[in-house]
Amino acid sequence: MTTFETISKLIAETKDMDITTIKPEMTFADLGLDSLDVAELVMNMEDELGVTIEISPALKTVQDVVALVDAQKK
Amino acid sequence: MITSVITEALGLRYPIFQGGMAWVSEAKLAAAVSNAGGLGIISAMNLNADYLREQIRLCRTLTDRPFGVNVMLMSPFVKDVAQVCAQEKPAVVTTGAGLPNAYMKEWLEAGIRVIPVVPSTAMAKLVERAGAFAVIAEGGESGGHVGDLSTMALVPQVADAVKIPVIAAGGIADGRGVAAAFMLGAVGVQCGTMFLCSQECAVHDNYKQRVLAAKDIDTVVTGKRLNHAVRSLRTPFTRKYLEKEFDPGTSGDELEALGVGALRKAAVDGNVEEGCFLAGQIAAMVHEIRPAETMIQDMFQTAEALLKGAPQWVK
Repeated sequence: MTTFETISKLIAETKDMDITTIKPEMTFADLGLDSLDVAELVMNMEDELGVTIEISPALKTVQDVVALVDAQKK
Repeated sequence: MITSVITEALGLRYPIFQGGMAWVSEAKLAAAVSNAGGLGIISAMNLNADYLREQIRLCRTLTDRPFGVNVMLMSPFVKDVAQVCAQEKPAVVTTGAGLPNAYMKEWLEAGIRVIPVVPSTAMAKLVERAGAFAVIAEGGESGGHVGDLSTMALVPQVADAVKIPVIAAGGIADGRGVAAAFMLGAVGVQCGTMFLCSQECAVHDNYKQRVLAAKDIDTVVTGKRLNHAVRSLRTPFTRKYLEKEFDPGTSGDELEALGVGALRKAAVDGNVEEGCFLAGQIAAMVHEIRPAETMIQDMFQTAEALLKGAPQWVK
């Protein structure tokens, strides 16, 4: 499973939404994620992927998160 | 005397914060609570940086005790307001309506203790990691913006999730609530609705009278459809709003527009027809307008007696 697929799966689970509608260029706002959802998602991603995700204004889209996770995995 | 890490670290006589309530928590109220030995808090609400700076400076003329500022993270002026906090250096900054992580660094560098309001364990963990001094675990019994979890369920779970101190909020208006909060793992409480009816609170008298007249089931939650759940007193405004909220023909934008300015109409104008009177489920437990100091003293006298009496249950 690619990082994007794993993250999409976690987003879909967090928001109870259709995984096929999630695209890399979508922002948290596009996905309807509020701060509560984002916090939940970050914790779930850290547990599942074994990485640390720091919330920052630069982290806006699904692709931003994928890049952050991939950088840590290397 | 009830002491905890909160009283010791912040130099308070009582481990109580006065909630940052928009259009309600002004310098005069904050100073009264701080002078009484709690932590008064000025609400930056959605006004600009000049307003906040003026309020902080006014508060300093009214008290030499520590006080805080509540930053509403969805405010259009949040960046400027965050900067004013870093410059003016109130003892504490509390935050609401989001994750404050983007501003934490500048506040921590200014020596401010950051204490975010959190509605979940995940948010508590994230702000702990970013350097929060404590968290305020606020249950859905509270007035204003609310999360889903109740104080009873949220406080112990947050206390288990983080190592930093936990302050309980939502549904606390007397010594029984304080004693219960401590039993749940909190080391302090935050109260909003109670202080709304303090003598020093400048909110319109109609607002205070509505709170005093409230019964136990008189609050409702609106705005769930917009993901902005808000608890307030049942009024002509909430009836109209709820009708529209459940009407599929009303767009989200129309609904949003309906809420704009409603709190100001309640707090400043005392407009009982069109105002939105934010209040928590304990509104019915507030029976009279009293000085903030008397409220706090009574509350902690009762809490102390209750906590001392706890061994009676253990045989």
